[in-house]
Amino acid sequence: MSGARRLLAGLNRRPQLAAASLLGPGTLWLLLFFFVPIAVVFAYSFMTRGVYGGVTGGFTLEHYRRFLDPLYLGVFRRTVTLAVSCTVLCLVVGYPVAYTIARAGRWKNLLLFLVVVPLWTSFLVRTYALIFLLRDTGFVNAVLLALGVVREPLVLLYTPGAVLAGLVYGYLPLMVLPIYVSLEKLDPTLLEAAEVLGARPLARFWRITLPLSAPGVVAGAMLVFIPALGAFLTPDLLGGAKQMMVGTLVQNQFGAARNWPFGSAASFILMAVVLVAVLAYLRLRDRAPMEAVA
Amino acid sequence: MRRRVPRSLVAFTALCFVLLHLPVLVLAVFSLNRSRYSVQWTGFTLEWYRRLLERPDILAALRVSLTVGAVSTLVSTVLGTMIALALARHRFRGRTLLEGLLYLPIVTPEIVVGISLLLLFATLHMALGIPTIVVAHVAFSVSFVTVVVRARLEGMDRALEEAALTLGADEVATFRRVTLPLLWPGILAGALLAFTMSIDDFVITFFVSGPGSTTLPVLIYSMARRTIEPTINAVSTVLVVVTTVLIFFFDRLTRGREPTEGAL
Amino acid sequence: MTDRVRPGTLTRREFVRRTAECGLAASAAGALAACARREAGGGAAAAGRLGPLEKELNVYNWSDYIAPDTVAGFEREFSVRVAYDTYESNEELLAKLQSGARGYDVVVPSSYLIPAMQATELLMPLHRDLLPNFANIEPTFIDPPWDPGNAHTVPYHWGFTGIAYRRDRVREIAASQAVWSDARWRGKMTMMDDVREVLGSMLIWRGRSPNSVDPLELREARDDAVRAKPNLRAYKSAPVKADLIAGDVWVAQLWNGDATQAMVEQPAIAFAFPREGSQIWADTLAVLTDAPHPRAAHEFLNYVLRPEVGAAIADATGYGTANRAAAARQAHPIPYPSADEMRHLEYQRDLGADTEAWDRIWTEIKSA
Repeated sequence: MSGARRLLAGLNRRPQLAAASLLGPGTLWLLLFFFVPIAVVFAYSFMTRGVYGGVTGGFTLEHYRRFLDPLYLGVFRRTVTLAVSCTVLCLVVGYPVAYTIARAGRWKNLLLFLVVVPLWTSFLVRTYALIFLLRDTGFVNAVLLALGVVREPLVLLYTPGAVLAGLVYGYLPLMVLPIYVSLEKLDPTLLEAAEVLGARPLARFWRITLPLSAPGVVAGAMLVFIPALGAFLTPDLLGGAKQMMVGTLVQNQFGAARNWPFGSAASFILMAVVLVAVLAYLRLRDRAPMEAVA
Repeated sequence: MRRRVPRSLVAFTALCFVLLHLPVLVLAVFSLNRSRYSVQWTGFTLEWYRRLLERPDILAALRVSLTVGAVSTLVSTVLGTMIALALARHRFRGRTLLEGLLYLPIVTPEIVVGISLLLLFATLHMALGIPTIVVAHVAFSVSFVTVVVRARLEGMDRALEEAALTLGADEVATFRRVTLPLLWPGILAGALLAFTMSIDDFVITFFVSGPGSTTLPVLIYSMARRTIEPTINAVSTVLVVVTTVLIFFFDRLTRGREPTEGAL
Repeated sequence: MTDRVRPGTLTRREFVRRTAECGLAASAAGALAACARREAGGGAAAAGRLGPLEKELNVYNWSDYIAPDTVAGFEREFSVRVAYDTYESNEELLAKLQSGARGYDVVVPSSYLIPAMQATELLMPLHRDLLPNFANIEPTFIDPPWDPGNAHTVPYHWGFTGIAYRRDRVREIAASQAVWSDARWRGKMTMMDDVREVLGSMLIWRGRSPNSVDPLELREARDDAVRAKPNLRAYKSAPVKADLIAGDVWVAQLWNGDATQAMVEQPAIAFAFPREGSQIWADTLAVLTDAPHPRAAHEFLNYVLRPEVGAAIADATGYGTANRAAAARQAHPIPYPSADEMRHLEYQRDLGADTEAWDRIWTEIKSA
């Protein structure tokens, strides 16, 4: 025990060392098993494809050049469009939900719990549940047919709508939570002051609530947009594998196409987009003031 | 609360909650349906759950999932707590950079993480199996644990620690008898979160699993590709129930003064 | 030529139960007794070079590709503990092996993969003296083009791609590759999520080889595939079985064995062989170069080659077995292709460097 005490006393005198020893193992782990692998992907993206899979050495920019081809640019464009649609839809649906929870008083905790549970439930299970619901012989159609609303089963599964629905269903909680956090921090006196000064409810919302919840909106958008870019399970399982997204492309290259370098290049471009977005977000966050009141 | 929420908003929110939970609830309900294929309710049965116990592949996957979950939770909780302590209590150079870097595993698309780890293991000629899955799970859990523990740390009142120090306790004793007990709910919450993420993960695990190391989600995936039968519903429901229970305790632990910080 | 395939003899419920339990290490799982009559002189001779029989074995096979009692029977007779993992595609197998998945002994690659695996030295040359039951193999599959002399592989099953359809929904169907372009069943048809099958079918439709690498032919096939795409509900491989059974899908491009399995669950399903022809493939058993338990692996291969074991597996999978002696024991074996049919069947070959051209077309089809 005294040995530990001496050690800690020593560390106490050198705060940098104390911080380093605490940070050390965790950061090392992340470096080794998160950042180094990304670097490996980067390295692979310049190598030549082995005929039977894997790589043979050499240096080539061919894989990145391939992305200038309109075909592959189209894949990216389509993926970004889907991710943006998903984000916008999540925002439109998620903001009101977050707003309601923030105002829910004693129901707040229960509602939050109900939002958090789907978030941590396995994405695969939830996607499978959605398939079970949407197939021609699934639950939704069974109900609609039984109620006589439709005479033929609606084609719900294996459509672009199903993919969008699946993504929104999957990522909605990630939008709701950050918006809720920023709404919760909102100082109610601001709104009261505005009300006293004669502002109408809509104006109060538009000019006070919304701008002050902007950090939450931005955080939520990030948390939805970026994973949505890499989605491949949802377009495959819910979309009938009819559209190729970047995620599907990457998976394909490590599968049937046996073109690891090209797949690595695609992965890395995706990663680059993530990095840019995160940097932009951090810049925004550090620069914009969170409080409007001095 | 003085401010009331418009009725339409409440209705909309209620609808959203229903839609958010409906698919899984339907899945769970139909795991109790006697009929094998159709969605007509033909009777209540626990048959499909009974079958789970007879399937050696399901039991094996359960074993693997629990093993991986336990080990990766232990490691990531320790590592994550240490980082959280450093971030909350110390000033050091490169702090903002580290915060940014910690954020990356949270947002990076899973396919990129999975592929990159696969390539790393391939380059190192490391055999894929339970150890590689554990490594992967720790890599993506650490950041989450850090966030949770740090939120708890920053919500903690330092006055208690300062009082202890003033009264003559040294660093070690203060940490052991004041900081740690106060921090404990946060650490436990982080551990629960890490465990939940581990047992539920599919994409990353899919790329880094090897012989004899099929986890429950990976098994569900191949089962769902082969045939539709309520056994899949049963396995999925079990996974969901376990997750819900874990998150319930997570929620309890992170409530308190800052329910907002804890929820994420 | 329709209805080449006849369902197995098992009752529906029993088949369902059996195929749901493709076994792992077993203590009480599935009380189905395997008739383990020991083949005369099996395996005891010439054991020397590979050392004694190990206690464990790791098998990596396609899912749903073995009988429920095969592994259990082997474990009991040889006192070997078997770990059994499954994969869904050859590419998954190759990717896992190339990225360092160690520890597997026996794998089940398709014929077109063999040259690639040999080139990357993944396969161990087989010790044929440990496989006396190899004599049971049908001559068609002995010394095949993808593995001269069967140096590395033992043929397991064979199959071909055809058109599975719901007789009760689709009154009459042309047994032809033209069906995919038929708008009559728009939205109720699927093709496999596999560029070799989709493009291959279009190439065959035009009278070309499904292994073509000619740019003009490929472009034409691509245009055909893109034109057919609006008729398709989805690109789905073997898992479309479930949709066929449920009735979500009425016409599906499917392998004959999977169609047979689906038929057991849903008798309204029928199977048609396209008149222009189709692709044939053979799956093989192989032992990996760095297999940790090579002796046990060989014993397992020899065990699977037994007529009664092979027959049980073929009954369970619904595919044609390359084991002639096993086929003789089946009540309803899949008949081997006649000479005329073989003329319309072409083995799928590995495309080597041309895989990239095909992959690009696949991206084009999927982006359309």
